[in-house]
Amino acid sequence: MRVAFNTLADSLVNQLSTLNTQQNELQKQVATGLRFSQLDDDPSGMGAVLNLQAQNSQTAQYQQNITSLQAVATSSYNAMQTLDTISQRASEIATLADGTASPQQLQTYATEVTQLIQQGVQAMNSQDQGQYLFGGTLDNQPPFVATTDASGNVTAVTYQGNSSVASVEIAPGNTVSAQTVGANTSGSGPEGLITDSRNGADFFNHLIALQSHLLAGNTTAISSTDSAALAKDQDNITLQVGMNGVIQSHLAAASAVATAQANSTNNLISQDAGADPAQTMTELSAAQSAYQAAVQSGASLLNENLSLAYYLA
Amino acid sequence: MLGLFGTLNLASRSMQAEQEGVAVSGQNMANANNPAYAREQLQIEASTPLPTTTGQQGTGADAVAITEVRDALLDAQIRNETSVTGSLQSQQTALQYVQAALGEQLSSSGATGTVGSDGGLDNDLSGLFNSFQALSANPSSLTNRQTVISAAQQLAAQFNQVNQQLSGINSQLNQSVQTDVTSANHLLTQIAGLNQQIVAAQASSGGTANDLIDQREQALESLANLASVQSSANANGSVNISLDGHLLVSGATVDDTLQTYDGGGGQLLVSGVTSGTPLALSGGTIAGTIAARDNGLASLSTGINALASQLISQVNSIYQPGYDLNGHKGASLFSGANAGDISVTASVVNDPSTLQASGVAGDAGNNQVALALAQLANAPQAGLANQTFSQSYNGTATDLGSALATVNSQLSDQQTVQTMLQNQRSSVSGVSLDQEMTNMVSYEKAYQVSAELVTTLDQMLTTVIGMKQSP
Repeated sequence: MRVAFNTLADSLVNQLSTLNTQQNELQKQVATGLRFSQLDDDPSGMGAVLNLQAQNSQTAQYQQNITSLQAVATSSYNAMQTLDTISQRASEIATLADGTASPQQLQTYATEVTQLIQQGVQAMNSQDQGQYLFGGTLDNQPPFVATTDASGNVTAVTYQGNSSVASVEIAPGNTVSAQTVGANTSGSGPEGLITDSRNGADFFNHLIALQSHLLAGNTTAISSTDSAALAKDQDNITLQVGMNGVIQSHLAAASAVATAQANSTNNLISQDAGADPAQTMTELSAAQSAYQAAVQSGASLLNENLSLAYYLA
Repeated sequence: MLGLFGTLNLASRSMQAEQEGVAVSGQNMANANNPAYAREQLQIEASTPLPTTTGQQGTGADAVAITEVRDALLDAQIRNETSVTGSLQSQQTALQYVQAALGEQLSSSGATGTVGSDGGLDNDLSGLFNSFQALSANPSSLTNRQTVISAAQQLAAQFNQVNQQLSGINSQLNQSVQTDVTSANHLLTQIAGLNQQIVAAQASSGGTANDLIDQREQALESLANLASVQSSANANGSVNISLDGHLLVSGATVDDTLQTYDGGGGQLLVSGVTSGTPLALSGGTIAGTIAARDNGLASLSTGINALASQLISQVNSIYQPGYDLNGHKGASLFSGANAGDISVTASVVNDPSTLQASGVAGDAGNNQVALALAQLANAPQAGLANQTFSQSYNGTATDLGSALATVNSQLSDQQTVQTMLQNQRSSVSGVSLDQEMTNMVSYEKAYQVSAELVTTLDQMLTTVIGMKQSP
């Protein structure tokens, strides 16, 4: 093939441009650790990464939902523990307030029961992130309100919440509620922690009855009615504590799954988009060597001393 | 028989021919770096011989023509491939603009090695649905409500921005078509003018107007870069140019020029000015720009608008029956109809308590609407070919990436073809300094020998003249 004056220069420019492009691309891969970074670098790979990224973002949000639910469940559990302690003490008082107790002792017990009721109301008005835990979905007001008479005795505790709970998604299509409602007298839906018509639980009213019977010195009513009623309340509280434990276990398992999914998705993204450092460095080294050789050989050939004109001169 | 004076004349003409040879070599060397130049050759032929008693006697040599070395087939191939390259280059440029407007780029966090895209609609879509999720976990929280509003505003702003950028690119591409059409018309006029000069020059001198032909070839290739024109040579040395079978230049006359017209929706197409005939362009930057505008850009724009439209209608249909913290319902979360005008309803921006997250009036903790909105993220949408919002967007973005990757690949292959053809032409028509130096030395030596002949003849004539002076 006949070689014109500009053939070498033109070819050299093209070759150096190609090698520069290769070096630039490989250097970018080495610097970022990514095999591709734009849509046209690898459309299918980029599409897969975008889908995985959306999935990852969703999983991270599910993890946050789980954390929120765990906070609600833990706070609810703490309130239930307080309620359990109150229930046990009330049962003890009901047992102690038999025919052998003096009127003064009964009066003291009555005062303690009043305090227990107020503690119970306080526990049941616990909040998490500003929301009342036991009011159902009416969570922007205290679910329980205690009414006292002039002597400071509790005459009534009113429930202001409802029996609805809000479920939150912790995985696609999988919703869970960590809420426990304070009362449910509808006969269906979630069981109430204080009052539930299905199992006879009515803790505050039973405590008020105990308080009244202690004040009146009616030990017969205490032993015949209040102790049995309080036992039902205790059973109900124990049941709710158990259900709370189930929910917490469920949430812990869901959290572990979400964490595993996030790790797996991150690994997939890295596998899809990540550049193999050894291979990339090797390719970069080869491109650098080729560039160096092209520059050296090109410069040598372009040297004027190798032209015929130089020798003729 | 030539005789001494005849031979002296022979030597003189020989020296003239060799001088012309040196001049041609000089011309070639002077244009060694001129990309439009085709090397020239001096045609030297033996002069008409004289009949003598001893037979035909040579009378020396004459320079009869200076021709340029061109391969018409190669030139035609290069023009055709230039059209293809021009089309692909303009498509690549346009689609790169579009890709940049979309803003989907992966990066790697050095500390954690986490890979993700830095921005773009994909992130903002996830952000909106995640904010719905967070709201469903605590529906009466004003903080969570504000997060939803911010995420919705961010998404709407991103839709607006992408739409605005795509519209801007569309306008730029139309402007580019207009500019290229103007350039093409200028070249048509230039070529017709060169045709006229070539015909006149060749008619008067009888030779070939090499430099004018070089200029015309360069103009033809520039025109081919803009539009896939066809050219045909005439016997008088001029060329005719047509586009899509429509004659634009015949010899020295410009029969028609190009103009743009609104093909609908402000999208410029090309037609003939005189004929008004719409022209189908198969190559060149004009065709490439139109193809990128009407395919890659239009598809992306349609996909983004369909996504925004579907998002507005689906979110609002779930949102409108919901109740806010004040027990009111019926408002929309998003207003607008597409990516260009989507926005978050002003009333909810001003007062997060009016965000309708509850399914029951006065029930602040009810998350029925918030949960349904959150679950919309994984719901296939009939209006989006049964894909989720995220899948639909990713598909649209990936389609653009595929289109650009295809063009990149085609252009790379095309540049290889173009380079091969250019090298072939360079091999035929390019100037070789070594060859020219060799030619120059040959001409120089021949000139020296002819000069020696003159010297010899001079001595012989002196001898002849001296014969009379001698007694």
